[in-house]
Amino acid sequence: MADRSHIVKSYEQELGQLRSMMSQMGGIVENQVALALSAIADRNEEAADAAARQDPDVDGLERDVESLAIRLLALRSPMASDLREIVAALKITGDLERIGDYASSIARRSLRIRGSDGQISLSGLRSMGRLVQDNLRRSIDAITQQDSNRAMEVWHADRAVDEYYTALFRELVTYMMEDPRNIRACTELLFIAKNLERIGDHATNIAERVFYAVTGDNLPAVRPRGGPTSIDAAAEPEDR
Amino acid sequence: MTETKPQVALAVRNLNFYYGQNHALHDINIDFPARKVTAMIGPSGCGKSTLLRIFNRMYDLYPGQRATGEVLFDGRNILETGLDLNILRARIGMVFQKPTPFPMSIYDNIAFGVRLHERLNKADMDARVQDVLTRVALWNEVRDRLNAPAAGLSGGQQQRLCIARSIATRPEVLLLDEPTSALDPISTARIEELLDELKEEFTIAIVTHNMQQAARCADQVAFFYMGRLIEVDTADRIFTNPRQQQTQDYITGRFG
Repeated sequence: MADRSHIVKSYEQELGQLRSMMSQMGGIVENQVALALSAIADRNEEAADAAARQDPDVDGLERDVESLAIRLLALRSPMASDLREIVAALKITGDLERIGDYASSIARRSLRIRGSDGQISLSGLRSMGRLVQDNLRRSIDAITQQDSNRAMEVWHADRAVDEYYTALFRELVTYMMEDPRNIRACTELLFIAKNLERIGDHATNIAERVFYAVTGDNLPAVRPRGGPTSIDAAAEPEDR
Repeated sequence: MTETKPQVALAVRNLNFYYGQNHALHDINIDFPARKVTAMIGPSGCGKSTLLRIFNRMYDLYPGQRATGEVLFDGRNILETGLDLNILRARIGMVFQKPTPFPMSIYDNIAFGVRLHERLNKADMDARVQDVLTRVALWNEVRDRLNAPAAGLSGGQQQRLCIARSIATRPEVLLLDEPTSALDPISTARIEELLDELKEEFTIAIVTHNMQQAARCADQVAFFYMGRLIEVDTADRIFTNPRQQQTQDYITGRFG
């Protein structure tokens, strides 16, 4: 019983295939987010294109994961930890696909914020980007290593993302009030910040699903989140 | 006047069982909730069928087999000597893996057991036969040939007849040992549907090797391994998130 592999080898192989597709998908999405952030920070047009070009691969993998998961459910009648892992994979793949979409959206918007160089500081956005990237990396590690502790870390870290988002919102509104010529770029940046916040949220979803798959228990329904803010309700991180 | 029904139909306490020198069940403690289905699962030789056979004292038929501990049924330890086994077996019915119709007519298969315990006139007996055959969803299939030999029925019909025979004596507990392992999927589905209906009235204990069947039918699932009860919990819990690693390994197919 030391080796906990299935008696039926083909079942074990199919589960292995599911795991490998998940980590491949996670890798691509992580790369897309990195490219999108580089597109903003370094004004890197090529990176922006590269991020968007990977969308079809992610979509294809999502379909593959779904059909393999459905086949496993139908043909193997998985139980207990296998069942949880397969159901979690079905949901995580959706989260990863959304993250990929948000990364593409950030990449596209990054092309529209030129011309505002020097007027608007991007340091807040960069910090938020790094934090989100870090959370995403940890949630993808949690998937590949089936590590509930990693998942727990991500779950706790989402609060900081929300706080960054609220602060950035306030900062960008200030820029727009100072000079209406900033409005165009700031609007794009607001959307970018929102997209980053969404990515962070999906990374947290992934963490919750990994935690469930590994332990069989659910994390509390209420997540730790950024403290109450007096700012416009529009800056509230999206409800989940 | 409201009748108070017990919450636990069978309570097993510190039960040990021996086939001669072989210690087959070790210190089993488990409750069988009334009017619920409890499934017993585990690899061959784990003791699940042995436990089932203790409940109607079938082991009495074999010398050298003995049980210690208690199985409380209606306030009484059924392992005690001096218990009327015929009455016990009428109150705790059993259905086996292979359908075992008696070599007599369909009607008599049912009436035979009833006659041992009750004196019914012809009309009441007819009504009893019709009632139990209707409840196992066999009435419409056999109403025109009640006097035909039971051996002429299909395997699935025979098994439903055996269940009808068991419930005809109005038992409180129904024991089923792999009742569908010899049946096709449609007959199996019929039996499972039947269990679902019967549990409103009877406490059911079923031994099955079919994990999906346990998942579909049971309210409570007990996992046995090497003569020990490893884990007992709701079917929900056992099949989504069992507490014991051995249970997890068995139900996911990782048992070495």
